Amino acid sequence: MSKQRVAVDVGGTFTDVCIFDETTRQVRVTKVPSTPSDPMRAVLDGVTRADVDLAAVSLFSHGTTVATNALITRNFRPAALVTTTGFRDVIEIRDGTKDDLWDAYHDVAPPYIRRRDRFEVSERIDYSGQVVTPLDEQEARRIAALLRKREVQTVAVCFVNSYVNPAHEIRMREILEEELPDATISTSAEILPEIFEHDRFTTTVANAVLAPLVSGYVSRLAEQLGAGGYAGDLLLLHSGGGSMTPRMVERYPVRLAASGIAAGAIAARHVAAQCGYANAIGLDMGGTSTDISLVHGGELRVTKEWSVEYGYPIIFPSIEVLTIGAGGGSIAYIDEAGSLRNGPQSAGADPGPACYAGGGTEPTNSDANLVLNRLGTSLAGGAKVLRPELAEKAILDGVARPLGLDVEQAASAILKVANANMADAVRLISIRRGYDPRDFALVAFGGAGALHGAEVARELGIPTVIVPANPGVTSALGCLLVDIRHDLSAMFGALAHEADEEEFENAFAGLEAEASARLRHEGVAPEDAVLQRLVSMRYLGQWRSLNVRCGSGRGALAEAVQLFHEQHEREYAFRRDDTPVEIYQLGLTAVGTTPKPAFTPHDASRKPAPAPLKTRKVYFDGNGWLDTPVHDRDALPAGSELTGPAVIDQLDSTTVVPPGTRAEVDEWLNIRIHLTEA
Amino acid sequence: MTQTMPEHHAGGITPGPLDPVTFEVLKNAFVTAVDLMSEQIMRTCYSFVIYARDFSSALCDAEGNTVMQGTGDIAVHVGTLHFQCKAVLEEFGDDINPGDVFAVNDPYRGGTHFNDVSFIRPIFVGPRIIGFAQNKGHWADIGGTVPGSFDVNAKEHFGEGLRITPVRVWHRGRLLHDVAQLLVSNTRSPYSSMGDLNAQAEATAVCEREILRLVERYGTDVVVAAMAGVQDYVERIVRNRLAELPKGEWTAVDYLDADPGQPEGLVPISIKMTIDDEGIHYDLRGSAPAVSTFLNSGYGTTHSALYAGTKTFFPEVALNSGFYRVVQAEIGPEGTVVNAGWPHAVTGFCSGPYEKLMNGIFEIWSKVMPERAMACAFNLEYLLVGGRDARTTDRPYFMWYDWMAGGWGGRATKDGSGATAPVFGVGLAVQPVEGQERLSPVLTSAHRIVTDSGGPGRHRGGCGLEKGGVLTDCENTVMSYCCDRARSITWGIEGGLPSVPHGVWLNKGTDAERFLGVTFSGVPIKPGDSFTRPSAGGGGLGDPLTRDPAAVVEDVVDGYVSVERAAKDYGVVITVIDPELDRYEIDEPATESLRASIAAERSDWLQEDPQDVARRYRAGELDMLDLVRRYGVIVDWGTGELHERTTEQYRELMQRRSAAYWA
Repeated sequence: MSKQRVAVDVGGTFTDVCIFDETTRQVRVTKVPSTPSDPMRAVLDGVTRADVDLAAVSLFSHGTTVATNALITRNFRPAALVTTTGFRDVIEIRDGTKDDLWDAYHDVAPPYIRRRDRFEVSERIDYSGQVVTPLDEQEARRIAALLRKREVQTVAVCFVNSYVNPAHEIRMREILEEELPDATISTSAEILPEIFEHDRFTTTVANAVLAPLVSGYVSRLAEQLGAGGYAGDLLLLHSGGGSMTPRMVERYPVRLAASGIAAGAIAARHVAAQCGYANAIGLDMGGTSTDISLVHGGELRVTKEWSVEYGYPIIFPSIEVLTIGAGGGSIAYIDEAGSLRNGPQSAGADPGPACYAGGGTEPTNSDANLVLNRLGTSLAGGAKVLRPELAEKAILDGVARPLGLDVEQAASAILKVANANMADAVRLISIRRGYDPRDFALVAFGGAGALHGAEVARELGIPTVIVPANPGVTSALGCLLVDIRHDLSAMFGALAHEADEEEFENAFAGLEAEASARLRHEGVAPEDAVLQRLVSMRYLGQWRSLNVRCGSGRGALAEAVQLFHEQHEREYAFRRDDTPVEIYQLGLTAVGTTPKPAFTPHDASRKPAPAPLKTRKVYFDGNGWLDTPVHDRDALPAGSELTGPAVIDQLDSTTVVPPGTRAEVDEWLNIRIHLTEA
Repeated sequence: MTQTMPEHHAGGITPGPLDPVTFEVLKNAFVTAVDLMSEQIMRTCYSFVIYARDFSSALCDAEGNTVMQGTGDIAVHVGTLHFQCKAVLEEFGDDINPGDVFAVNDPYRGGTHFNDVSFIRPIFVGPRIIGFAQNKGHWADIGGTVPGSFDVNAKEHFGEGLRITPVRVWHRGRLLHDVAQLLVSNTRSPYSSMGDLNAQAEATAVCEREILRLVERYGTDVVVAAMAGVQDYVERIVRNRLAELPKGEWTAVDYLDADPGQPEGLVPISIKMTIDDEGIHYDLRGSAPAVSTFLNSGYGTTHSALYAGTKTFFPEVALNSGFYRVVQAEIGPEGTVVNAGWPHAVTGFCSGPYEKLMNGIFEIWSKVMPERAMACAFNLEYLLVGGRDARTTDRPYFMWYDWMAGGWGGRATKDGSGATAPVFGVGLAVQPVEGQERLSPVLTSAHRIVTDSGGPGRHRGGCGLEKGGVLTDCENTVMSYCCDRARSITWGIEGGLPSVPHGVWLNKGTDAERFLGVTFSGVPIKPGDSFTRPSAGGGGLGDPLTRDPAAVVEDVVDGYVSVERAAKDYGVVITVIDPELDRYEIDEPATESLRASIAAERSDWLQEDPQDVARRYRAGELDMLDLVRRYGVIVDWGTGELHERTTEQYRELMQRRSAAYWA
């Protein structure tokens, strides 16, 4: 029996099961409906339906929305916070800001632990780690007893300045463990040993409230898979684009928040790398939104400034993904001052775009694509029939009449606005960081990405668009490709030119020891462990810092400082070589590499594309209606070449190759559209 | 990369060469260009005040009108950026060159206060100026007599800080070192000021680059037409919205606590608003003469308050000069608290007239749009402790410069928002204690929500906070405070009650306790001294006796309301069963009878002899909340001395805003 790798990606609507057969080196995908009330059911159902023999699975990886959903719904087991006297409300005060600056009726979500479940204990440590007030052990015991009486199952212990001296938190944990032997305890200095109480407390509180749920989910799933014959480790995708085993999930469940979102970005990086592109922008366009990610030099952009909900940051590195409300179902409308707008409101799955005949009457991007014949009338191999007359009517009433345009002009205008909005979002994630989009390839996927990719790329001056083989299930593919990964950090305040190199080296050595221990604990062999040092620096006096890679040994720091100047110049267009550079924090990425699927390339010697299925008139902006060949993607072998205009249909997506561009199918069956060399 | 001009002209919707698609695309692109500038300044600034988001960015057109302001901008800068751009145009006329960058902070030329320094870069296409990129940020210090440049006692601007009339800092791409050096040398932190000067100027270049990219793609004429079109667009939205609103005239009066140059008594700021076919008109005539502290407002910030207050009721409308066209103001002659004029001190406008205008406008619009009604919010406050840090041998200068979040007013459908940044700027982040403790010899004793701080109401005000600390190793240290509303207390509407007074306490709860009030500067303090101050909660909306008792119990469980005040303020009698398990019960008969007796007596409480009430306060029989909520009596909260005239005025207000609505 041939070995298989299995990845299961749970989405809002579908749970995708992606199977790589190690013998045939082929990928196949099964979709089953998600079961939000008990997500595990869909996972197991998908495995059964895909006919997976768990005993033959060499690696099982999983992206889950369990943690994210729990945070959003606040559906937690009884939890409590124990904190320093005077600081009970840190997680409610936050930094005081709101995401909507002007709407006085729009409030920030409430904190994860309510005020009634937050308790103060006398203790205080100052900025330097000196004890100002010793921990009042009697009070600590009294609180522990109170929590037992309240049947609390999980506790966050968050003391001011514990990042410099965790002694009181550790002692508090011991007392709680004695009184509450079955509860999970998360201490802030262990979860995130970093300065700034709100960031550290909130991250710790998120960890605490997730602990019983997420650990429970993960261990039950691992058990089920084990019972079915799976002998390996279940790998859980985390926000940082890596994965962890159930043993680490138990300690750091908060890392599973935003688990799923990274999968698409990882897939985009993989597809770009296959094609030889180290720089790529991922455009994952679905029904209601588009996720945009960026790979530079083969690495995905990572951020520590993210949250599931505004006001509650989770300070772990996370793949930077910009989500905008632009999808196939996004609604186009004329606003009250007469401007043509597109999204973020979406027709969603119900009623869906007008052409779905589900009762929707407002024009969407899908309706515009259909009216212009970019999209055919039959989706998913005929499973869904679209109704152009309904789309036409919606566009006529919603956009064309108010603006005095014909239907096709109006439909074309709708798409232009959608494409411009996506291009603006790409600018935000690229230009903002000093990247020029023209140096990137665009990987277009998701159900609707390939319909829009070429035009978005043209808007941005991006020369090449890559459409992966199965655009609709690309995210699940990302799940197959992850390594085990941990991100550690430590504070280190010093001016770079004054820093003691030995102290610097020792601090990293301490992190490395901890990281190696974690990887060992997860069963990673030493030869599969890769550690990367990072140092976070800024010009003396600045408030934000930049993360740069750092080597080890003599001269490593000086090299990192040079790299900092360069990176600062790239991101912010200036450098100040004469200004002292301050070290703020040390970081360490610990990766336990897992064997990756080895895909087999196809013979991509050039060959003309087979005859199209048919030809139909398709409307292109600037050209009007053109006779356009329509191809079946499955019939296009590697090496086929096409000249735009062309439309390529497949089960889960449609690719538009506009006039003036050239497309080829590469050895991995990606379609590459070249915009500059028609 | 060029595109042929679109051939479709949408019937009268957009001007000149613009089709609707290009217009929408450029409108969004302007937002991106301005936000990119904001993003950059956040990441490269040196002032921790800028870092806390006290800054704004704008794209202005060739005449200086604002085309687009940043989506995350602080409210207080709204409606001032075009004044500053126009000041540069007036000053330099045709002597503006590619690569020039100008600085300005002049409150007498439409600026905010001296700390807010704007950098303005012209955007040229060939020989033609098509617009300006502007970034305005709050420098942590701009000179003057006190650290942080907030001198409460300043009567004229000369003591407040460096006044920068429009001045050129870059000439044709070359930094004028002498000029830059002059500017930063007049601050207490020349190093960080130079950092901000560079960072802000670099940020304006980001916007310039983005606009030029649009010019290359769409052509100069199209971009310029879109700059005008975006302003017309906003004007059109607001006018459409106005067409659906009632026409008429509304008034509100809010008050500063006092003018130290005058006898005790609240200082009125009068607002009349008219909506007619022409638009929205504000008339501030009747407001008091300028006060003898720095709590005055110049014309720029007064306009900002009017625009920002109004904008709160049009939250989704973009901000630009199109909005300003619909909102007109008559602010009266110079020399008043809302139009101070040179050389009146104006740095404290933000705690003074600004917040009064904003909240007064909230009160007016609560009547125009009852579904978006909101009572008064807490007052912006700044506490500065500055001196020498004796924790290290070099004894560097330190500045513990702190501002708080607080409560906003009760709303038509729900309680007010608690622990929220001031109306002055909802994006203004409070600082983490752990950061402050590293930088200053101040050990924070608490940063917490204050029980009973929300103004009672059917929908209560959001809770306010308390933050204070103990001085550790310091020398030559002084404390200053800029706030208001120790007497003109954060009010309720439609029958709701006020929240709590602002004000700083020194060594509270000890023999050396002192109430320092809401405006003072240079008070000497020494190691071991403790200080604390609350931020007010929001005012309540609606009669508190009509609040659902179950909601009061929930508040008691969370400690937002005490069992004692649940009875006094809401007439809800709660039996404590087991607080360890959050078990409380409503005593329904007792609640019914208490509510009836409060309803019967409360009008009389507002008539009781103020002298006697003050005496009972001094004797400890009544507390602060009894005075401000039940008796309408204002005293010096430290000594208990009655403020007679203030009490009279305060009772009038309570009559009008609260008692008049009680059944």
